[in-house]
Amino acid sequence: MIWRERAGRGPAPRGPARAAATALAIALAASGCASSPQSDVYDPWEPFNRTVFGLNELADLMVIEPASIVYGHLPRPIRTGVRNVLNNLREPVTVMNAGLQGKGETAGTALGRFMINTLVGVGGLFDLATEFGYERRVEDFGQTLGHWGVAPGPFLMLPLLGPSTVRDTAGMGVDFLATQPLPPNLGTEGTIAVRAVDGVDMRERLTPLINDVRANSLDRYATFRSAYLQRRAAEIRDGQVTGDDAAYEEIFNEPDPASED
Amino acid sequence: MSRIRRARTERLSRRTLLLAAALLPIGAAHAGAATDARTPAAFIQRVGDQTVAILKRPGVPKPERLEALVDVLDDATDLALVGRLVLGPYWRQASAEQRTDYLQLFRELVVSTMAERLDGYGGETFDIVGERAVDERDTLVATRINRPNAGSGPVAVDWRVRRTDDRFAIIDIIAEGVSMVVTQRSEVGSVVGQKGIDGLIADMRERLHGQS
Repeated sequence: MIWRERAGRGPAPRGPARAAATALAIALAASGCASSPQSDVYDPWEPFNRTVFGLNELADLMVIEPASIVYGHLPRPIRTGVRNVLNNLREPVTVMNAGLQGKGETAGTALGRFMINTLVGVGGLFDLATEFGYERRVEDFGQTLGHWGVAPGPFLMLPLLGPSTVRDTAGMGVDFLATQPLPPNLGTEGTIAVRAVDGVDMRERLTPLINDVRANSLDRYATFRSAYLQRRAAEIRDGQVTGDDAAYEEIFNEPDPASED
Repeated sequence: MSRIRRARTERLSRRTLLLAAALLPIGAAHAGAATDARTPAAFIQRVGDQTVAILKRPGVPKPERLEALVDVLDDATDLALVGRLVLGPYWRQASAEQRTDYLQLFRELVVSTMAERLDGYGGETFDIVGERAVDERDTLVATRINRPNAGSGPVAVDWRVRRTDDRFAIIDIIAEGVSMVVTQRSEVGSVVGQKGIDGLIADMRERLHGQS
């Protein structure tokens, strides 16, 4: 399956579906609560999600993993170039969402990165901005909603796109629609193509991790679900690796096992 | 010391980011070496140095390196505690026999995972970047793991270190925000929810023996 590292790309509905997505976002905002403990899992649609997960694993075995193996044989500089172009295409999404979260500096850096890498870095092929000391950060509308206090909502396993939540899926749609008028205007088909390359690239980079989970997890679905939810919570906290999370702390507050052995 | 013996059970090195995992068990421990560190950060520094030192010795036969790593693991972690935290609320429900079986399998799975990782060392190094006390017992030590050969940036890994009467012990690893204990607790909880504790133990046994 494709492990989606950041929400934000991918095809999204138009027309009436767009209105529905907006309504959904508003509904989420209204019901949002302040924090989302990383150790909580809310998965009311688990049977459905597990079915999708099974199909994703099948697609992975048959198509995505083989493609990633072929891709992995390309020389490193080519893969780095592809990754740089993909990253660069995401910068406008980061500019928008950093702005919405009131993170002026992040927005400015992302805008600067986009200009430098597009104009000087040959359409994003070279990440000169990082060389110049402008560190890359990623913001998407799922994170923006989280920043505003919207809870993740039910966990959702998306076909091909992998683990998500209702909030993050809505965020993905908003990012797609909002950036359509902006450069680089890829359109639906272009977005899907980029998404596919992105998925293969990401799958290739995550191969050690995925192999590890396959070899060692007793329940791969539960492992990916938990890791995804924790990772997103960490992204919303912005790199602050460990938040003060009551639910997390509670795990460690049990009495010393020595007394029970 | 029973505490040290009990430390032999956890799967600390599984999943999350490989590196975190690869670094932890490492360390060429001479028993007790980890105990004389004064602060959690110094403790992590020592354990990390020991681990890297073992991983860097490609000439040494694999069984010997694994043995050295297991020594570090026993010295630096409390696998019995971690195993218990991973089982979470189900620990209470488990019978004495189930607990013993579970903890033993837990440890064996950690060691078998470590054995798989032995050859995966890609020149990683680490830096301690900070230390933050959580409460009287626990401290989070923040590190950055540099991967010169991975073609991507460093990974942020936090180590949760518990201080007990006579030693420090690693009880969780948080890689880029993903806690090993939380992830495994979720996984184990899901299995127990479907199959019960005996089912979990059977699955662990199968995983262990199907793996060789």
